[in-house]
Amino acid sequence: MKSPLLILAGSLALAGCASQGLKIHTLPEQTPAADAASAVRKAAEFAAAEKEAAASAGDRANLYEAPPVTPADAPSMRTYDPWEPLNRFTYRFNARFDEAVFLPVSNGYRRLPSPLRSGVHNFFGNLSEVDSTINFALQGRLGFGVRSLGRFLINSTIGIGGLFDVATKLNLTAAPTGFGTTLSKWGMHPGPYLVLPFLGPSTLRDGVGLLGDFGTSYAVDMGGLYRSTDKAWMLGVTNAVDQRSNVDFRYYSTGSAFEYETIRFLYVRRRLIEDEGLHADDPPKKRDVAEPAGQ
Amino acid sequence: MMLHQKRIFSITRFSRCAAFAAIVLTSSLTAAPITAPPAPGPATGLADPAALRATVYGTPPQDLAPLPARVPLSEMDIALPWTRPVPDVFWFDRKLRVWFSAQPQPAPLAIVISGTGSDGNTSKLSLLRAALYGAGYSVLTMPSPTFPGFIVSTSSTGVAGDLIQDGRDLYAAMQQVIAHLPQEVQITDIDILGYSLGGANAAIVKSIDAREHRLKIRRAVMINPPVSLFSSIGRLDKLFAVSIGGDAGIERLYQQLYAQLANLYRASDAVQIDENFLLGAAAAVLHSDKEFSAAIALTFRIALVNMFFAGDLYAGTGVVVDPKHPPKVGDSLEETARILRTKPFSEYFARVFAPYYLQHRPNSTRESLIADNRLDIIGDALRTDSDYYVQTNSDDLILDQQELAWLRATMGSRIAVYDHGGHLGNLGDRRQIADMLAMLGGRWKGASP
Repeated sequence: MKSPLLILAGSLALAGCASQGLKIHTLPEQTPAADAASAVRKAAEFAAAEKEAAASAGDRANLYEAPPVTPADAPSMRTYDPWEPLNRFTYRFNARFDEAVFLPVSNGYRRLPSPLRSGVHNFFGNLSEVDSTINFALQGRLGFGVRSLGRFLINSTIGIGGLFDVATKLNLTAAPTGFGTTLSKWGMHPGPYLVLPFLGPSTLRDGVGLLGDFGTSYAVDMGGLYRSTDKAWMLGVTNAVDQRSNVDFRYYSTGSAFEYETIRFLYVRRRLIEDEGLHADDPPKKRDVAEPAGQ
Repeated sequence: MMLHQKRIFSITRFSRCAAFAAIVLTSSLTAAPITAPPAPGPATGLADPAALRATVYGTPPQDLAPLPARVPLSEMDIALPWTRPVPDVFWFDRKLRVWFSAQPQPAPLAIVISGTGSDGNTSKLSLLRAALYGAGYSVLTMPSPTFPGFIVSTSSTGVAGDLIQDGRDLYAAMQQVIAHLPQEVQITDIDILGYSLGGANAAIVKSIDAREHRLKIRRAVMINPPVSLFSSIGRLDKLFAVSIGGDAGIERLYQQLYAQLANLYRASDAVQIDENFLLGAAAAVLHSDKEFSAAIALTFRIALVNMFFAGDLYAGTGVVVDPKHPPKVGDSLEETARILRTKPFSEYFARVFAPYYLQHRPNSTRESLIADNRLDIIGDALRTDSDYYVQTNSDDLILDQQELAWLRATMGSRIAVYDHGGHLGNLGDRRQIADMLAMLGGRWKGASP
């Protein structure tokens, strides 16, 4: 268990001395032609999906009986953030850690061959289907639970231990969930805004949910990955690097003094809207989601 | 954007925040796969329906110019010798950040300047970078002098938006950056271009260089530039006023957007808000001219909030920042942001910009400051020097008819005016890129009939 601590200490030391006058980073190569081609493809898919949605609009209207969300239901634009000084401190720490450690490592990782990276990505995605299946069951959304379980079974077998995402090719697309969403389904409000060290924006509820997810992975111990070896931390680090390398976010790329406020606003609104979706088919009296992190 | 749908590490939520910010707040989707039918009649009197939509959606991906398969990219953070003491709240903006793509062989360098409030790596800059690199240029992309990171690291005043001063700061920064490029970057010639406000900045930098000869800039291309900063900001203020209004209008817009997104989300199969959902939502949320206008106005307002705050802090004008007690790291800035978001460009001019420059520029008046911020100040060079070029659209919403006429008369055959595209809505399309490359290469023969 010493190695991760050493890495952490080393990286923090690095974070402290990253302030020479000139720094040049080579970034992963851009692929404009491929990006444009995929945008064209997406546009076509999007148009097709829109057509389909328009055709089935009638059916869908009947599916949801809950009254629509009105502008009056919108939570306040202010966010409940009683731990703001601590949160801001953590945000700043995360920014520095990201710049000094996380980002350089994940940029290096992105130079590895793409089939290798997608194998890693699929592998962790597949592991998380276990947690998703359990949580969909806890949420009482059995259809989604069966989908997650199906994905897990298909990808673990035909997809060779999860290295290939065969299920998506079979039109069984990923729909991950977690314990934070389960808590929401059970009626728990998001509570105060919370910036987690290393992990970033969250709320008290989602933070607890995250602990639940880690705990679940550990308890299920799929394939003996987590408990049968003392190298499980390597799994965690690889997972973290995989996640980071797939996220196009850069701390303070806005240059703005209001970045903390902006991210807080967007994160909490996004989760509240997801809660609205989660509670749409609840009995009417339970439909009181929207207030928590807005005051 | 590379976004994947994963969880466990909630840092991925950042990505969705970023996407949410990009799409919902600014609605400036580059190459968005959406073509909405134009609504009848201009709602704002500032732009027609097609121009508004083009401005928000940008060039459809199928209309993009051919782009190269691979473009190398490096990022440079450089501390400049003249940086002023960095205020606490801007601790992360200490260095100027620019991006460059180097050809493996000796090649001309194209310097590209970003638009109002934007950094040196926007999606619009990515398009231009790719096209230029594909045409054989090494490319250096720079933030706008109105971007907070530039204001803090590079500006010699902290009060952004003055064409001459910003031009000088840009010019000085370019010299530093070029001097520090890795030695394997071999530059044969230097050309300069920019879009929106960056277009005007580019032309001013070339005119300064024509006197000082430190970079020996060859040609300059302005893409959708303003002619008079004061008149363009007036139009943007008006766009905000008619499409959003004051603080109550912002609140109303937010509540409406929240309800729309919540209902869309409930009706979708999505289990989380991801890129695909937001892409669809952007198409479903924006319908009327007023909504498109609001999206554009809001984009500029967000840029202004940042510029206003920095200017007020540096100039000590005390509009939202108490000069004796400036905010520290860890202080909440929510109230400051709430006040600033209601303030138009005209107030920035009246309460920060003018007081600062009246004091620091001898013999200046409000009128002279306005006049100093017109392209007129380099009118002679634009008229007589055949190395300046302009690309714009007849429906660009930051220009009025007189300004467009002035541009045509001044530039003569060195201007391309396209019929459609609004403000930058055709950036990256085949014709715009082909013409731009012809201009930069000295092959431009005037607009084809």
